[in-house]
Amino acid sequence: MMLWYKAWLETRWRFAFLVGSILLVWIAPLWLPSTGVTPGMIASRMWVALQLESVLLSILAAIYLAGAGINTQTMYSATSGFHGSMLFTLSLPVSRARLLVARAGLGALETCGLVVLMAGYMLFLKPGAVSALQAFDYMVRAVVCAMAVYALSVLLACVLDEMWQFTGACILWVGFFLLQSKVNMVSQISPLRGMSLNCYPLTAPMPWAPVVASAVLAGVLLYASVLVLQRKEY
Amino acid sequence: MNLRINFSSGVPIYQQLMEQIKHAVDTGAIKGGEQLPTIRKIAEDLAMNPNTVARAYRELEREGFIEVRHGSGAYVGMPSTSSAKVAGIRKAAEVLRPAMERGLAIGLSESELRRVFEDELARLQENAAAARRRT
Amino acid sequence: MNEIIATNGLSKSYDGKPALIGLDLAVPRGSICGFLGRNGAGKTTTLKLLLGMLRRDAGTIRLFGEPVDSEASSIAVRQRTAFVSEDKELYPFMTVNQTIRFTRPFFPAWRRDLEEKYLDLFQLPKKKLVPQLSKGMRTQLMLLLAMARGAELLMMDEPTSGLDPSLTEEVLQALADLAASDGTTIFFSSHQLAEVEQLCDRVCLIDRGQAVIAGVLDDLKAEYRRILLVFDAEPPRELAGLPGVDHLRRRGRTASLLAHVDVDAVVERAREFGPCSVEVRPVTLKELFLDHVRGE
Repeated sequence: MMLWYKAWLETRWRFAFLVGSILLVWIAPLWLPSTGVTPGMIASRMWVALQLESVLLSILAAIYLAGAGINTQTMYSATSGFHGSMLFTLSLPVSRARLLVARAGLGALETCGLVVLMAGYMLFLKPGAVSALQAFDYMVRAVVCAMAVYALSVLLACVLDEMWQFTGACILWVGFFLLQSKVNMVSQISPLRGMSLNCYPLTAPMPWAPVVASAVLAGVLLYASVLVLQRKEY
Repeated sequence: MNLRINFSSGVPIYQQLMEQIKHAVDTGAIKGGEQLPTIRKIAEDLAMNPNTVARAYRELEREGFIEVRHGSGAYVGMPSTSSAKVAGIRKAAEVLRPAMERGLAIGLSESELRRVFEDELARLQENAAAARRRT
Repeated sequence: MNEIIATNGLSKSYDGKPALIGLDLAVPRGSICGFLGRNGAGKTTTLKLLLGMLRRDAGTIRLFGEPVDSEASSIAVRQRTAFVSEDKELYPFMTVNQTIRFTRPFFPAWRRDLEEKYLDLFQLPKKKLVPQLSKGMRTQLMLLLAMARGAELLMMDEPTSGLDPSLTEEVLQALADLAASDGTTIFFSSHQLAEVEQLCDRVCLIDRGQAVIAGVLDDLKAEYRRILLVFDAEPPRELAGLPGVDHLRRRGRTASLLAHVDVDAVVERAREFGPCSVEVRPVTLKELFLDHVRGE
C-alpha cells in the first residue's frame, strides 16, 4: 500500500544509480583496448574482477538501500530532538512494525533485484556450460546471503543516523572479513563467502551451512530491528 | 454591524462582544426584532472561537436582551426598553462632552483624560461596593 | 465522554533531567485550547507523549475517554487525531498531490469535499515538490491533510510560527471555521499570545513541567485584576503576603499587584497601608503569562 509507494519514491534514485553502475560494468569491456587481448582473456579477467566486486557490490547496495528512509527523514538537533518528516510519519495511525516492514521490505526487494542482475551476468560470462539447477542454486544462495548483509544494515539504520550507519556497516563487514579468515568456524557460515563464486564454485553442491546461517541471521536481525524501532523515542 | 474586539485588552472577549452587540442596538445599528449574524459568521469574520461567540449569545439570552429561536437564529429583543436606553446614552454624551472638551482644553492628552475617567469610575465602583458591604 | 484529552500526573525525564513533573491537563470536547509556556517548559514533550512518539515515565493519559498505554491504543487514537508539527516537514520527495494521495488511504473517514475546498482556498500547486513550497504553503498543506481526514482532535505545535500576518489570519480563520462547523477539538501550543486570546476559549499555562494556570480564558480574565498602588515611600513588602495576591512587583514608589478572585477584599486590605492612589485594571493574557513564569 501507500507505505511501499513512499519507500519506492524514497529509494528509486539510489536503486537506479546502482543498476546504472552495474550496467556500466557490463558495457565497460567495449572500451577496453584490443591490443593483443582476446575476448577470452577479457572475459576471464572480468570474471575475476566481478567475483570480488559482486560481494562488495552486494554489501554496498545493501547498505545504501537500507540506509535511506528508515531513520533518515529525521534531523537530529541537540536542542529540540528529532524533527523532520519522521514526526509526520509517526503521527499516522500505523504501527512501527508496519513502517519497518514496508520500508525494509522494498529495500530488500531492490537488493534482491540487484543481486539477481549481477548473478545473472556472472552466469552469462561463465566459460562453460552450467546446468539450470546449478544456476538456480547460485541465485538462491546469492540472494539469501545478501539478505543477511541487508538485515544488518537495516538494524544499524534503526540505531544510528544515516552517515554513521554507512560507516558502521562498512567497518563491521571489514571486521567480519578479517574474522572469517582467522576463525574457521566463522568462515564456514559466512554470508560473504556464501555469495562468492571463488569459495563455492558453480559446480559445487549447495553450501547449506552459510545459506542457512544467513537466513537465520537475517531473520534475527530484522526482528531485532522491529524491537528497536518499537522502543525508540522521538 | 461593525464589531470591534480588542483581543489583548484583558477584558473578557465574550463581555466585549456582549457590550458591542448592546451598543449596536442602542445606537440603532441593529433594530429590535432583527436577526443577529450566526455564531459561525461572527467567529469566521473575526477569526475567533465560536464557543466564545456562543457564550456571549447565551448570556445575552439570559439577560433577556436577545431571543434564540431553534432552527431560525438569534433575534434582538423588542424595543420596549431600547428607546429609553438610546435616549439615556445621548443624554450622557451631552453631559460628558463639555467636561471632556474642558479637559482637553486644559492640556490633558487623550490617554491622560482616559486615565482620569477610569480612576474616577474605579473610585465610584469601590464606593458603591463599600456602601453595599456596610448595609 | 466529555474530555477529549485528560492527563493525570504525567511525568517525563530526559537523561535524568525532568521535562514534565506531574502534568494535569483536561481539554473538553469542542473547545479550542491554547497551550502556553516558555521555551523548554515541556509543551512539545506533552504533544509527543499524547501521540505516542515518547513513552511516559509516570502518570496516565486518556484520549477520547480511553486510556492510552499501548501501541495499539495509540494507533486507535491517531486514527481520530491530526498533528501538525512545528517545522511542518513533509516528505521532500513527494509533490503536493502525491502527499495527499499518500495520506488519504490511512483514513477511511477522509472528506474529499474538504480536500477540494482547501486545495482551492489555499491555492496549493498540485505538481510542486514539497521542498519547493514556502513555509506558509507547507502549513496550509498540513492543515489540509489534518482537516480532510475528518479528525475529531487537532493538535498543533506552534501553528503560525514563521507565517506573515495575512497567512496567520487565514490559518486562524480556517481553524475557527473548523471548530464552528465540525465541532473539532483543537489543542495547540503557541507563543503568540494575541492569537491565543483571539481563538482560544481555554488556556493551559505550563512552567517547569507543571500546569500553572488552566481554565476558561474569559473566566480567568474575569477572576484576575491588576491593582496599581502609588505610595509616598517604598511600598511595603507585606503586600505580597495578602491573601489573594499572586504576584507583587515594586518599582520606585509604585506597587503592582496581581490579585485573584476576591479583588475587592484585596483592594480594601491594600488601602490599609495608606497608598496615595489605587487603580484597578483588567489583566491581559500576556500579564498572566509573564507574572506566572517569572516567579515570585
